[in-house]
Amino acid sequence: MTTLRPFTCEDMLRFNNVNLDPLTETYGLSFYTQYLAHWPEYFQVVESPSGEIMGYIMGKAEGHGENWHGHVTALTVSPDYRRLGLAATLMNLLEEVSEKKKAYLVDLFVRVSNKVAINMYKNLGYIVYRTVLEYYSGDPDEDAYDMRKACSRDINKQSVIPLSHPVRTEDVD
Amino acid sequence: MTMSFRESQQLHKVCTIYENAVKIDTTNEELHSHLFMSYVRVGDFRSQQRAAMAIYKFAPKNPYYFWAVMSIVLQAKETEDTTKRNILLTLAQRMIDNFISENRMEAEQEARLYIMILELQEKWEDIIKFIESPLYGQLIPGSISQACIPYLKKLGRWKKVNILCKELLYDNLDRWDYYMPYFDSVFHLMKENSNEENIDDTAEKCHEFICQLVESMSSGRTLRGPYLARLELWKRLSVEGDPTALLGSALALCVQYLRVFASKPCAVPDLKVYLAMIPQEEREANCRDFLTCLGFDENSEPETMDDIQRHISCLTAWRLTAPRPGTTDALQLAATLRRHYLRSLEKNMIKYSTTEFCSADSYAILAAHHYFYAATEQKSSKPILEALCLLELVLLYSPANYHVKLLLVQLYHLLGNALAADSIYRRLELKHIQLVSLGWLHTARADAACVPTRALQLLADLRAFHTHHAKDQSIEHMTYAYKFGTFEKVVELRAWAARLEACALCAVSARRRDLLALLAAPAPPAPPAPLHAAHTDNRDLNIIVNWEPPELQDPDLRSRTFDQDMAYLRLTDALLSSVTLCTELAENKPIEEKMQHYEQLRTCVDTFSEAMEKCTEKYCVYEKITISGPFPSRIIGFVSSPVPYRELYSITLRMIGELSMNNTDKVHELCDQVVAIILISSKLIVQEIRYGAEDNGWSMRDRLESLSNYLQSIGVLTYLLGVCYEMITPTNTKKSKKKANRSVDQMQTIKLIDNINVTLQQAIASLEELMDLWPDYDFSVDLEEELTRMNINPTAPSPVENKLKLGLDKIIEDIQNILKRKTAYLKGLILNTNT
Repeated sequence: MTTLRPFTCEDMLRFNNVNLDPLTETYGLSFYTQYLAHWPEYFQVVESPSGEIMGYIMGKAEGHGENWHGHVTALTVSPDYRRLGLAATLMNLLEEVSEKKKAYLVDLFVRVSNKVAINMYKNLGYIVYRTVLEYYSGDPDEDAYDMRKACSRDINKQSVIPLSHPVRTEDVD
Repeated sequence: MTMSFRESQQLHKVCTIYENAVKIDTTNEELHSHLFMSYVRVGDFRSQQRAAMAIYKFAPKNPYYFWAVMSIVLQAKETEDTTKRNILLTLAQRMIDNFISENRMEAEQEARLYIMILELQEKWEDIIKFIESPLYGQLIPGSISQACIPYLKKLGRWKKVNILCKELLYDNLDRWDYYMPYFDSVFHLMKENSNEENIDDTAEKCHEFICQLVESMSSGRTLRGPYLARLELWKRLSVEGDPTALLGSALALCVQYLRVFASKPCAVPDLKVYLAMIPQEEREANCRDFLTCLGFDENSEPETMDDIQRHISCLTAWRLTAPRPGTTDALQLAATLRRHYLRSLEKNMIKYSTTEFCSADSYAILAAHHYFYAATEQKSSKPILEALCLLELVLLYSPANYHVKLLLVQLYHLLGNALAADSIYRRLELKHIQLVSLGWLHTARADAACVPTRALQLLADLRAFHTHHAKDQSIEHMTYAYKFGTFEKVVELRAWAARLEACALCAVSARRRDLLALLAAPAPPAPPAPLHAAHTDNRDLNIIVNWEPPELQDPDLRSRTFDQDMAYLRLTDALLSSVTLCTELAENKPIEEKMQHYEQLRTCVDTFSEAMEKCTEKYCVYEKITISGPFPSRIIGFVSSPVPYRELYSITLRMIGELSMNNTDKVHELCDQVVAIILISSKLIVQEIRYGAEDNGWSMRDRLESLSNYLQSIGVLTYLLGVCYEMITPTNTKKSKKKANRSVDQMQTIKLIDNINVTLQQAIASLEELMDLWPDYDFSVDLEEELTRMNINPTAPSPVENKLKLGLDKIIEDIQNILKRKTAYLKGLILNTNT
């Protein structure tokens, strides 16, 4: 049972039950406020009846020509509210906004080790488009899958024909 | 150059640069935009408006026009003059009306700005007309019905709200933000007695609608929405009547909810709000219904992960409704719950990943609650030690479980060991804004826990975030909103910048850092920044899981602890300000300037003294501790201490003021008083930190907090003595190889200051003796036996005893080193004066 609403600045004081999950990064303030200032329609929260933040999504629209696409920057759900379909709800919203903006596709990056997330995106209709080598810095660096789903504007589904070879991070636009 | 002005907070100079630039290059769009942004940074809305219209004149693009409109709206919001406000809003609206009539509105945010202006004028009808217009639909995605609802509510058009919400709910059964206005409409319509067919204007019709929603969930996922809606209906009806006849008992509804959703971790958090609406007597008498509704009891041994989750949901719901247990029952239940966790471990049912917790972890968390209850009843540390050992074991197998980490930090602090708490705190990897929202949990406590080195680091991190990110970047963020034309966020980002700027925790921490530095890393403190008129509370106090029943919840905890922290802020501000004024007075300055500082010092000391007196009366009641909230504020221990800190600081500071003005008679009198008060304080701190037969672990936190208050006075007094010696041995005398000719009065003053010095050294020596006898934790737990009995060999030994022992040893060692350094410094002061 959720309230779906736009993220506000003050939510940054209340998102600890989501962000304390080890795979959820807490960024500097500018990261969040840039997204709020530039793509507020993509920055949405799901909130429980008791007022707790259950999860949120951050995204943007970028690219030119046939590369004009929606992008999932961050999608995270609190461990206490998993298996409720919230990730799907948030992704649906992002896809709707992208459709309205006439994007050709939606894409996202995910750690190759994050099997749970990869499976979830596959169930939502995303395919692995390419591998991006050493995308995530760490000890050691980790590869990412670039996963994609075509929007209705990509009639021939060109954007989701997988690449046969991995790419380097610097080659990603 | 503008970057350097921005970095050095000279934002008005940036405006000047661009004002001059556009005079030279009058049609340079980029320079004009920079000028506009420079006004945004300083909040000069009128100049913003002028700058925006200037660009629009030669570059007629929508963004610049709407920058001007936004600037007018901000002027309207800022003014208290109603007539001026109305004129400005009318102007802003007219500007956009013209654009609309010329078909020039292009962007979603332009439409949102228009709605903002209409909202400020409370023109709800006009807003609805606009939302229903084709233009809105072209520009703004999403449901028109949903967008209209808030404004229909303002107009009291409850029938329309009712119809729209029902339509929305048929397709979105799980949307709480549709149920809420639906219920609002039902309850308003109930008062109107309209009795129309399609409208739900009675409780019966409302209930029927919810039941239809429940039934419409045929196959597939069962959604929580309609079930929670029924509970919400019960809650609202119970405000003025008894809903039992229509809906059955609240107890039955809650138990039903649990039966359906117990396999989800969110079941009990959802239910928690509604358990409180069951009358306490009924709740407590029937609490076992929650435990047994799925065939479990407290001794059940589930064999699957889903059943473990269901068992835990039933156990936690039971404990949330049961009366708080006495010590024996609490310990028995804790042991049972611990056994459940260990059994899960034994049977390899602890399956976790880096992204998920294991359900069985919650057995341990609930056990920790019951150990905590027993500990607070008995005032004993032993149950807390059991909880710590159990939770550290859980963390070994479930390293992602932050609930366990947070509880460990809380419980290590409860036993006064900030270094042990720190070992877990580091694993939370808090960053950026979390340093603010969760600063209360560890940073604020470290300061009072006699770990000066680590506390200084934590306070420095918080200060760095506040100064650099919160302040500087927040202003810049407002320019992004204009740059991207996101007008709905301009006001929000402004408010956010102001909120962080006035953060209470950051204000307290900045002052605590400077005072703590006098003890551990002495340097002349800078005068603190002025206090804000109203500081903001940015704490996240809901983060630690809490399964205490409703009557143990403390609804005033937030506001009460915030008021206490504010009082403590004002005290430390006055104290720190006084210390920095003393530093100013030691400098070689003309007498007129010194006189000003002298008067300021007197005022500051009076403020401190009066505040101490008021606080001593107000904050004398020791408060209970909750498992999930902040501990009692430091101010209580500080003002209730038998050590007379008010006199200790006031008299010393006054003496320094008089010394700076060469008021010899007053100085001599006050010096004697300072000696006397140091001697009294030295005796009283021993009494306050007395070692008795009671549990050392349980009293450790209070003792260390008392000690930290006393150490603060040592730090401050030592620093102030250094200031005194600066005053009585001016620089030119030190540089000269000849001894200066001193008067009889001066010799007497030096003698008296030396006497204070020696007395302070004696006080430090007395404290050192106390530190030598500081008792250890008594460590005895039975988890090891239990593990052996169940043939469980954890992958690592329990770290608790080591962490506590080594942590305490380090605390004592660091304090002893600090005290040695203070003594050496004080001795050196006498030596330097007399050579």
